[in-house]
Amino acid sequence: MNRSRGWIVTGVALLATVAVAAGSLALGGFDPWEAMRALVSGSLGSPTAIFSITLVRAVPLILTGLAVALAFRAGIWNIGAEGQLYAGAVAGVWVALAAPSSVPAWLLLPGILTVGGVAGAAWAVVPAALRLRAGVGEVITTILMNFVAIHLAAWMVHGPLQEARGVFPQTDRISETARLPVLIPGTRLHLGFAIAVILAVFLWAWLRYTASGFGIRAVGASPDAARVAGRIEDGPTLFRIFLASGAIAGLAGVVQVSGVTFALYEDFSPGYGYTAIAVALLAGLKPLGVVLTGVLFGALEGGAGAMQREAGVPAGWVDAVEALVILSILAADRLIRRGEA
Amino acid sequence: MTARPPAVEARGLVRRFGSVVALDAARLVALPGEVHGVLGENGAGKTTLLSVLAGLLPPDEGEILRDGRSVEIDSPRTARRLGIGMVHQHFALVPRLSVLENLMLGWPGSPLQLPVDQVSELARNLADTTGLAVPLDAIVESLGVGERQRVEIAKVLLQEPRVLILDEPTAVLSPPEVEGLLSLVRRLARDGAAVLFVAHKLDEVLSVADRVTVLRRGRTVLEAARQEVDEGVLAAAMVGPEAARTLVDRDTPEGGDSAGISGREGGLRARDRPGGSHAPGADSLAAEPVARLQEVWLGSDKGGWRLQDVSLAVRPGEVVGVAGVEGNGQRQLALVLAGEADPTRGRAELPPEPSFIPQDRRREGLVQEFDLTENMALRLHHRPEFRKGLFLRWDALEAWTRGRIQEFSVRAQGPEVLASTLSGGNQQRVVLARELAEEPEFVVAENPTRGLDVAGEAFVHDTLLSLRDRPEGPAGIVLISTDLDEILALSDRVFVMVRGRLEPVEAGPDLRRRVGERMLGAS
Repeated sequence: MNRSRGWIVTGVALLATVAVAAGSLALGGFDPWEAMRALVSGSLGSPTAIFSITLVRAVPLILTGLAVALAFRAGIWNIGAEGQLYAGAVAGVWVALAAPSSVPAWLLLPGILTVGGVAGAAWAVVPAALRLRAGVGEVITTILMNFVAIHLAAWMVHGPLQEARGVFPQTDRISETARLPVLIPGTRLHLGFAIAVILAVFLWAWLRYTASGFGIRAVGASPDAARVAGRIEDGPTLFRIFLASGAIAGLAGVVQVSGVTFALYEDFSPGYGYTAIAVALLAGLKPLGVVLTGVLFGALEGGAGAMQREAGVPAGWVDAVEALVILSILAADRLIRRGEA
Repeated sequence: MTARPPAVEARGLVRRFGSVVALDAARLVALPGEVHGVLGENGAGKTTLLSVLAGLLPPDEGEILRDGRSVEIDSPRTARRLGIGMVHQHFALVPRLSVLENLMLGWPGSPLQLPVDQVSELARNLADTTGLAVPLDAIVESLGVGERQRVEIAKVLLQEPRVLILDEPTAVLSPPEVEGLLSLVRRLARDGAAVLFVAHKLDEVLSVADRVTVLRRGRTVLEAARQEVDEGVLAAAMVGPEAARTLVDRDTPEGGDSAGISGREGGLRARDRPGGSHAPGADSLAAEPVARLQEVWLGSDKGGWRLQDVSLAVRPGEVVGVAGVEGNGQRQLALVLAGEADPTRGRAELPPEPSFIPQDRRREGLVQEFDLTENMALRLHHRPEFRKGLFLRWDALEAWTRGRIQEFSVRAQGPEVLASTLSGGNQQRVVLARELAEEPEFVVAENPTRGLDVAGEAFVHDTLLSLRDRPEGPAGIVLISTDLDEILALSDRVFVMVRGRLEPVEAGPDLRRRVGERMLGAS
């Protein structure tokens, strides 16, 4: 009985989501049918839409979603994936541009991925230390570090890292050897997708099967029980997880540069690190679930682009519709879970 | 019997949690002006029944009448409007707010104005008329559990309920505080209120109740006036005919004394068997201590000392009882003994991993959203036989858990159920199973029977005593408890904690009185 009720709620929620999207489009004077058609066909309508748009857009969402999910599982409210992503992107681009052209891809690629991860982790050091040493809430510190990272990146592309022509606020394009190979020939789907999926499987197995992963889950679920019954020192554990979360978000940044944009520019991320919170929460903080919700949100973003091009809906309106759809999905998700409980 | 309708009456209440039926056509009739005892084992449905009456849980079926009129109590607000107030077993206070602010929470009136003067006035009146004084300006999180309990009761009494529900109100109080509470309850009933009183101690309920209702497995199995019943009848009704027999068997492993159920003054208590008279043999007195504290001092964050110059040697084969009013440093003593806190000064010599039964099993003993295997793994995941390199051997952990569920009679469908779905008594069995299963040499038990029913309490006591008396390697046990009965019944040596100091109390006649005086700070 509960199960069938769950399906009904899911169905109703999806219909409501569509209705919200259509209603808000109609409100703006657009043809909802036309716009929704563009949304679906632009994200799922063809192999190109799936492999070159939806899945490509899913990569940074999955990676930052994993970063957020890991931190939240341990009870660390890392809202700083956005800043850590920027830190990873800046560091990765810098090394990619500075490396002599004689460095081969097999060395350069792992090199910049590592540098990006380390930079993301470094960006988490200050909030982690403040939380664990001084008890300063990480929600605030990670948000503030986001601003620092975003503005630092902006300054970089206006200054030290600006392209040689000196026209646009962006870096030069990185060399071929610093670019992630394409996974499926003829599409834009790059190795980063495989990295994201492998990382998700790794995190899932680690949390589920290893002793240290179990410790993280215990600390996240109940710090008191973990300490008293489990004799788990939560301080060092949390510090490491905070940094690991930052590293994954940093990886997201460098993967995006190396797989998609090939350069860094101002407003490089449309808020991946924030959308990641919705991605992670909707997945119930489960790593494998993050892959699915990341793809869902990737489809939404991809389809939104098509809606803009094909149905003539302006970008701002598309952003608003996207946000409304995310809200409806989250609300529906809560309703569904309540139905199950 | 009387022309007045019952103050509150529940008819045919049914409440399910998933597949578990917590209430199965339960019935309760409480008249105005009476103290009504509600009895039952843990998991019998007492708390569920009361929560339904207080508007915290909607019933699936059944009807509630208030002064004879059918009512629907869909929220605590509705309950309050109907004059029903409940004092919770687990406190519903905001720790960061002051006592006064907590009292004002949910106070009816203008949303723009805080009723500071009005509520303080009422609180002072309450203190004058009932002796229930609370420190209005203190922050709740700085208060001990006993004081928080008083705040909780005051908060409900300020609303002048006509039906007052007290869920295990005496669990955390010292003996004089219990006396005060009981006389308060009687006075409220004299003034015409109906008081529903839940406690796990039969003698307390019997000393105060005018009538009783007994629940078993969600059903009302007995309703009677106080004079019509005695402890034996009630105990049998609570545990059911078969369980009553096994309880007797378990209480008297020697087969002789059947004090367990037929009752001397304490009634149905494992502690009434002659365990308290056990004297450690000469061997164990000579034996090396299993744990030793030497001049231990422990500082507090707020300055001052929580433990002052505490020395203690625990030998195998003895139960060291530590009595005291809540908040005199027992918590800190437990943490030091369990190896969870390091002394600021002095030395603690402890075995590598002392077994620790923390008083707050819901928060510190178990991870509620973990299943039973995972909860066992909290303790076991360090050990090599449950590891394969970096990995945990979940199959071995699950097999181990399955065995302990059997051994400790945990009422659960299997190792994969979540801890949060178990009743308090069963949760405690899980903690005991984890901490005591493998013959520990040193055990720290902190209020291990708080909130448990008779059978649960007997089980804990038996388990501890059988560890102490184990022929091959007896354990040394420190029992820290605010329940003086428990301390006196189980301990071989008794100490009292007063303001961070651990003071021995000589054995001998009149021990209870001397311990009681020492607890209150007299010397």
